[in-house]
Amino acid sequence: MNPEFRKQPPAPLSPIPFEISRPFETTLSNGLRVVIFENERLPLVSYRLAFFAGDIDERENGHGLMSAMALLLTEGTENYSSQQLAEKIERLGASLSAHSSFDFTTISASSLSFYTSAIFEMLSEIVLKPTFPENEIDLYRRNLLENLKFQRSQPPFLASEQAARLIYGKHPYSHVSLQPADVEGITREKLRATHRSTLIPNNAVMLIVGDVRRDEVIAELEQHLDGWQSGEKPVRNFAEVPKRTQRSITVVDRPDSSQSNIVIANSGLDRLSPDYFPALVMNQVLGAGASSRVFMNLREEKGYTYGAYTRMDARSLAGDIEATAEVRNDVTGESISEFFKEFERIRTEKVGAEELLDAQNFLTGVFPIRAETQEGLTTLLLNRELYGLPEDYLQTYRDRVSAVTVDQVQDAAQKYIRPDEMAIVVVGDAASVVPQISRFAPTIEIFDTEGKLVESR
Amino acid sequence: MPHSFKLPPLSLEQFTLNNGLRVVLDRDDAIPVVSMAVYYDVGSRNERDDRTGFAHLFEHMMFQGSENVPKAGHFQYIMKAGGTMNGTTSSERTNYYETLPASQLPLGLWLESDRMRSLAVTQENLDNQREAVKEEKRLRYDNQPYGQIFDLINSMIYKNFANAHSTIGSMDHLDAASVEDVQEFFRIYYAPNNAVLVLSGAFDPAEAKELIEKFFGDIPSQPTPPAIDVEEPAEVASNYSEWQDPLAPFPAFLIGWKTPKRGTDEFKALYLAGKVLYDGDSSRLYQKLVKGEESVIQLFGFTDERRGPSSIFVGAIPKPDEDISAIRETIMNEIRDLAVHGPTPAEMEKIENQLLNDAVRTRQSSLARSQQIAEFTLYDNDPDLFNSELDSLLNVTAEQIRLNVAKFLNTENRALLDVVPAKQAA
Repeated sequence: MNPEFRKQPPAPLSPIPFEISRPFETTLSNGLRVVIFENERLPLVSYRLAFFAGDIDERENGHGLMSAMALLLTEGTENYSSQQLAEKIERLGASLSAHSSFDFTTISASSLSFYTSAIFEMLSEIVLKPTFPENEIDLYRRNLLENLKFQRSQPPFLASEQAARLIYGKHPYSHVSLQPADVEGITREKLRATHRSTLIPNNAVMLIVGDVRRDEVIAELEQHLDGWQSGEKPVRNFAEVPKRTQRSITVVDRPDSSQSNIVIANSGLDRLSPDYFPALVMNQVLGAGASSRVFMNLREEKGYTYGAYTRMDARSLAGDIEATAEVRNDVTGESISEFFKEFERIRTEKVGAEELLDAQNFLTGVFPIRAETQEGLTTLLLNRELYGLPEDYLQTYRDRVSAVTVDQVQDAAQKYIRPDEMAIVVVGDAASVVPQISRFAPTIEIFDTEGKLVESR
Repeated sequence: MPHSFKLPPLSLEQFTLNNGLRVVLDRDDAIPVVSMAVYYDVGSRNERDDRTGFAHLFEHMMFQGSENVPKAGHFQYIMKAGGTMNGTTSSERTNYYETLPASQLPLGLWLESDRMRSLAVTQENLDNQREAVKEEKRLRYDNQPYGQIFDLINSMIYKNFANAHSTIGSMDHLDAASVEDVQEFFRIYYAPNNAVLVLSGAFDPAEAKELIEKFFGDIPSQPTPPAIDVEEPAEVASNYSEWQDPLAPFPAFLIGWKTPKRGTDEFKALYLAGKVLYDGDSSRLYQKLVKGEESVIQLFGFTDERRGPSSIFVGAIPKPDEDISAIRETIMNEIRDLAVHGPTPAEMEKIENQLLNDAVRTRQSSLARSQQIAEFTLYDNDPDLFNSELDSLLNVTAEQIRLNVAKFLNTENRALLDVVPAKQAA
């Protein structure tokens, strides 16, 4: 028995509109931009103090300084030791941490709204008065050396290290990790200089989301950030992302592997590119999710892998697009072959109207889900600030996704999926993998897990 | 201040369909999304000793189509409606969940009901998903440094097969499974009277009830699944084991203790003891070992809560050349101190604020709410425990924490797993 109503998916109920209102924005006298999004739903507050300077801005000063500076902000200040800072924050049930990425350095905090004042005090303490104690620097360096060794046991790290080198060349986005020799260069003097030149109010944005009142927040900021001097913004002037002219194969030999980690990549687009939305939708059709083409092919049809995806990473200055899967050794060649078939298909055949609409509906539908938690909403608001996206970006995001056409998707595929110049990286058992994949490119290089070239042909 | 702060309770509506499906409605219109959680009372604890990994394989089969939904159609329908979804398997249960725009509530109910009433168990789907599971095992366990240690320590803590064996199971057992085995498993466990459905988010309760009755009401109930025995003696199965891990770059160790079941005062006290010992940079063991002695690279701890005997773990990756026995000595000394003196007033204040913070955070997300409510409904038949859980944790005293640490952690009755990098051992 199969009642009629079960045979087709049911019609949706009437949609409920969802809008993110525009936040309040102001600039303090020291140049710090402040963005406040008041939301009383729950007694929670999220804080982000983000600087428009990241790992790529270290340049000749030495690799690893920006991330070390950020991570050591919470390891000692003029008034509190590392342990006292941890105890003060955690006793409030709150969190406070800092980290750097390629493009930005961000201090993040969250707390119950009863503790807003205490959080502002601690935040200003770590921004204005960090001391970078010698013993903490020493511990940081020793732990970092161990972590650098540790990450060499992780196949995804080994793959990303090679892919970044191949895609970005001399551009600083190529440095996904430090070398052990870099660690010696992390000194107190350099950390203090990095702190002084980077954490300046006129190159930053302070975002506060949650159960707060804007006048109180501004009063707190004026009080706690009094005397914070503005400085000179870094100038970004880097080598071009190289133009690749042919395919290459790079194998990282990991003899005990029971799987091959495959990454196939080429350079992509920066976050403000006018092609961003067509490329976003194209990537959704091709491989961003579990209903996308590469997943349906490599996992659901072929059973080669637990998951196969494509990913688009659009940063401030450049970006890349990569396809990834972890597959069993003996189907490494077949898997790469299926990826290339999908690359050709999306370049040469127009996507169907329904497939396009499905991808668009996914991107527009998950938008409110991403804004459901305060952390999620904070991330959306922060990204608008960090990348300098249009003021109405969050209000028009869904319209921009829906406006993408079939032709734009194909144009984006032809522009950003370039099979003839892709870098193919495989982390796995070289003896079993190399014979399967050498046909995909004229050259092949083999590295060990330490990152040393052992063979090139 | 938090002492006078009361989190407003969720108003939960519970009812049971004629076929035994338990339903809970948790309405919150803040954001126009709806989450649904379907929890089946079947996990690895229900598996036969020659069919391990079955509960998890089955989770994969649930995405392979049903009478009116094509193979892989489930996630396609959800994604093109702008939703997210997944399923997971543990020792205790198998869960399926989706978050959708509020207007797509009927779609979610249609999809969940269609696979509950008419899953397509075919040889082709079975073969394909066996391969996906094998890749998942290689990815998460075999090809990961330290990937197998949690399964290993469970087999050292628990004596009862139902508790001791892994959720991913044996690939030989999966290969031996026939379509008939899978069909039988579906009939026994994937019945409405063996499941719970929770809706959280923006919906009209009267409309939701009508839709639930329409889609789930005519799915036949099944005889109650066979009873299982998860009882355990107090002693761990094995005190010591060494594991040669071919992928591990450094030695590591994991200590596990057997504890009373979830929901008991004892378990709650041990959960809070864990916060004092290993949760956050101000925790005792972080301050002693990562700071202080500077002897470990990574420290971690967690509780595994089960309906039967449960467990708590502390593990560390020491720095090379450190004296591992001295590190373990420090851990046991700290446990002894907690067993003698109990947590300090400052630590109790931290626990209180962290519990408040966790409770507020959980309420933000419709998915997180639906999942917690589903657990309380499936395990305790009482969704309102979602509202009283915070107070019951806040009521645990420092003395109760001390006593339970003394009884369950400060003891030789524990399992120690040493991980030795196989290359180094060779």
